[in-house]
Amino acid sequence: MLDRARRRDPEALEAFFERYFEPVHSLAYRLIGERAAAEDLAQEVFLKVHRALDTLDPGRDPWPWLATIVHNACRDLWRSGAYRMGRRSDSLEDDTARAERIPAPAVGPEGAMLASERERHVRQAIDRLPESLRETVLLYDYQGLNHLEVARMLGIEHAAARKRHSRALDALGKLLHESIGH
Amino acid sequence: MSAHDDDLSRDAEHARAALTALAEAPLATPSFRARLKREFASGEIERTAALRAATDTLAPHAPEPQRPHVVALPRRRVGEVWRWVAAAAAVLVAGYGAVGLNAGPAWRLVSATGQGVATVDGRPVAMNHVDELMAALAPGARVRVPAGCRIEIASARTLAIQMVAETDATVPPVPGRWFRRDVSAEIRSGEWRITTGPAFTGARLALTTPSARVEVTGTTLAVICEPQGTCVCVFEGRVRVGRDRTDMVMVEHGHRRFLFVDEQRAPESAEMRPAEAGALPAFQDSMSHEMSGGR
Repeated sequence: MLDRARRRDPEALEAFFERYFEPVHSLAYRLIGERAAAEDLAQEVFLKVHRALDTLDPGRDPWPWLATIVHNACRDLWRSGAYRMGRRSDSLEDDTARAERIPAPAVGPEGAMLASERERHVRQAIDRLPESLRETVLLYDYQGLNHLEVARMLGIEHAAARKRHSRALDALGKLLHESIGH
Repeated sequence: MSAHDDDLSRDAEHARAALTALAEAPLATPSFRARLKREFASGEIERTAALRAATDTLAPHAPEPQRPHVVALPRRRVGEVWRWVAAAAAVLVAGYGAVGLNAGPAWRLVSATGQGVATVDGRPVAMNHVDELMAALAPGARVRVPAGCRIEIASARTLAIQMVAETDATVPPVPGRWFRRDVSAEIRSGEWRITTGPAFTGARLALTTPSARVEVTGTTLAVICEPQGTCVCVFEGRVRVGRDRTDMVMVEHGHRRFLFVDEQRAPESAEMRPAEAGALPAFQDSMSHEMSGGR
């Protein structure tokens, strides 16, 4: 399939899309935490993939390559002025989207609202972390990668990834302590 | 879990718990996913990106001031250089002048009804902050209209668009007066009602949706993006509709064409929807002043 995708065979490209769209979109969402921005990012990633199909190695698992493209696109977004401006005010639409997908029927609407509010605080605290720490905790604790995978994706040493993760958790813990106070 | 997990401080433990409790990523919008899949498999994704880049280039930009670069030249060449500089400046002035004069009447926010928060390029803008909303609705801006709300924009005598509740779309550039008359926009979901004025004659608005391409050359119509597909209802004039450029068909006034997201299903044609038969003339009437007013 990868070999045919590399030759831009439409059927193979469809199969490639089916196989990797959800992982790409899910990683984008986890890194950004915003539904619309994650869709924009996924679109950008698939555009970049399409442009770089000639470099696809059919003998290797394309996921690390894709994940790196997602991560780089996300970094570009984090560094953009528009993104920083946008983060100063939180979108109500995203609150609604969060509230919609909180799986808490047992706690009722009030509980769901509290969960949504709590998630907003956590997201805000994550956004306040320096970029290098932010990506480490999101990739390790939210995306579920191990330190070695995080290190490969970020292009750093294994030990550095562990150390950075530790610092990131400490920093995030302090920020949450300030905002939620637990 | 790694070996250093045991050494976590209390705050760090809470941070980890909070991260683990973050909600799972939601599924992408089905229509968005379907469109992206089609564009990726067909290669259209690159053409669409090139189109977007071109649209961005066409958007009016203020020229950035350049730092003067001083070069020492032999005295006898100075006069010649100045002549070239003057000529280049004249060309630039003429170019900017032509581009400036060519620009059609800018978008004007005609109405923003309903209470809620719209999103423009990912930034929340309250529907009642009319000035802010008006400033944000520039060509190329991605707009999401909140539930229960409606936004109407118009370019005098050229084009008027009504974006109904829960529409997600980009604002098109206004067609130029003499050149750059072909403009494009994308509707990801929701509905646009469109009517054109006399200054639109000779221009073309190409709309892409997750399942259709719609080419407007002067008419009153509605483009409705639903999860199952796109419905184009033509109240007046004729509109070219198809899945892409290769299979466009003409839809006559009073009729509709429905293109399914599921490409295995053939497009359907019928009389226009009764709801649009009422809404489109009402929209056209409400915009008659904008479409007949002076520039």
